[in-house]
Amino acid sequence: MIPLPANRLLCIALLIMVVPVAASGTAVTRALSTAEPGAGETFTVSLSIEGMALGGVVETLPAGYAFAGTDLPDDRVLVREQKIAFAVMNDTRITYSVRAPASGSGDITGRWEDFIGGTDGAVAASHVAVDGIETAAASGGADPAVREAGSPFAVLAAVAGILLAAYRGGRR
Amino acid sequence: MNRHLLLAVALLLIAATASAAGIPGDADGNGVLDQPEYTAAVLTYLVGEGDLTRTDIQDATWVLARWDGRPLEVTDSSGQTLTLSRPLRRVVTFTGESLETLRSLGFDMEKVVAVDKYSHAKSAFFPGFQEKANVGSIWSPDMERVLTLRPDAVFLYATISTAACDEIQQKLEASSPGTRVFRFDCFKPATYPGEIRAIAAATGCEDRGDEFVGFYESVMDGIRAGTADVPEDGKTRVYFEYWTDYKTFASGSGYNEKLEIAGGYNPFAGESAEYPEVDPEAVIVSNPEVVVKLTGQKLAAGGYAGHDIAALEATRSAILKRPGWTRLAAVADDRVHVVHSDILGGAQHFIGTAYLAKWFYPERFAGLDPNAIHQRYLTEFQGLDFNLASEGAFVYP
Repeated sequence: MIPLPANRLLCIALLIMVVPVAASGTAVTRALSTAEPGAGETFTVSLSIEGMALGGVVETLPAGYAFAGTDLPDDRVLVREQKIAFAVMNDTRITYSVRAPASGSGDITGRWEDFIGGTDGAVAASHVAVDGIETAAASGGADPAVREAGSPFAVLAAVAGILLAAYRGGRR
Repeated sequence: MNRHLLLAVALLLIAATASAAGIPGDADGNGVLDQPEYTAAVLTYLVGEGDLTRTDIQDATWVLARWDGRPLEVTDSSGQTLTLSRPLRRVVTFTGESLETLRSLGFDMEKVVAVDKYSHAKSAFFPGFQEKANVGSIWSPDMERVLTLRPDAVFLYATISTAACDEIQQKLEASSPGTRVFRFDCFKPATYPGEIRAIAAATGCEDRGDEFVGFYESVMDGIRAGTADVPEDGKTRVYFEYWTDYKTFASGSGYNEKLEIAGGYNPFAGESAEYPEVDPEAVIVSNPEVVVKLTGQKLAAGGYAGHDIAALEATRSAILKRPGWTRLAAVADDRVHVVHSDILGGAQHFIGTAYLAKWFYPERFAGLDPNAIHQRYLTEFQGLDFNLASEGAFVYP
């Protein structure tokens, strides 16, 4: 058992990890046309961008998944293996296509930077699996820290932890 | 072998200097960052390639967004034009007036890496700056410390203490060519609005600069308008005494400019020296309608340091006891005032000038509230939690 003060510290630390991402004024979220594409199917990824005039987003695809095009001009995109970098210039939405492999699952992860505001953060991970089948080599590009910091689950976990700690503290 | 090594190091330093001097991301080196160059720099940075750091990209973004991809040229009050290829990130101020103006403009004070020793000592007005490096004064600068701090900009006076400021500038230009040396006074009514705008442009605080100039000019133009129709022979006759007894000022001095804007007539304006010492008898003969005594020398009582009204009152009482002064119109009419140099000598001169106008022409400026102007300046532009009702001592009565 972790002593109570350590629990509280953990909760505070979690909140510190989560709050800056939410409070920076910039937000990037991702939506997939499907999270369970068929083998070789091309699906669409949409990034919604708020509050970023000049910045960048880097997406990392799971192993086997391939970038297949975007609505941004060519000179604002750079692909390096599983990484896709987008130069954001007052864009509120960027859409790109991904071709699924014959099989495989994993997370699409991302990070953004606002070069005017001097802020950066994570784009919450999106899980994809060909035909909905999980494979052993899942989450090829996943970044656990990114998931912790960016997912709604992390926020809920942090709040729940705080409440639990406060409840236990009150009983002592 | 050693020669080759030295040559390589020298070439690396030259390359680094050249890189630091230009706009980051300006791949073709033509002095302009266009959009393709910018996006290429951003993309290579994002995927972890290239040499540009996060700071480089942020600076490139600033240049593209605010300066249309071109270097910014700023002309200071000494007439020199300085070229900036990046936003200012490490600033050293040798004058409290420029530091205060930067704060009025909302410039990020974290980017001020060192200040002069006087600003360093003014903990009430410049709280938090005591943790910053102290680079001494313009007369005794700690140049080693300045160079160690690697500033990208240093602020000095333009038209006063020019020999000392010139020497600092020459040393910086010789030892640190990348450092831009700005020369601004920030205490003269004739040049302050232009200086605010120039500093605002150099720091990217243009909107705030317009706002501050608007506030400043609303005060000063209101005073000018209020005294514009006062005939020369109808101007209030004023004896203004400097810190030292019987030391006054003549035309050409900054104080005289403020006195004249407030509609005062200085009987000693024609003296040859800028700050002449006058014969006590001459003061009595001039029979001033208003006497103003300056206080605040060497951080003495009053000003922002404490709510010491009694010290100002004592200064006034001492003046009133001078031989022959009971005959003065100013004494007979109870129009002898004490003003602290904090609100008349530096960047806050518009506050002191408002007090002068009110003292010289109480009916014309019945609606003018210098205290309210002062409080707004401190709260809105300086961002200070300073309540004039219970803190500071600037005028008496």
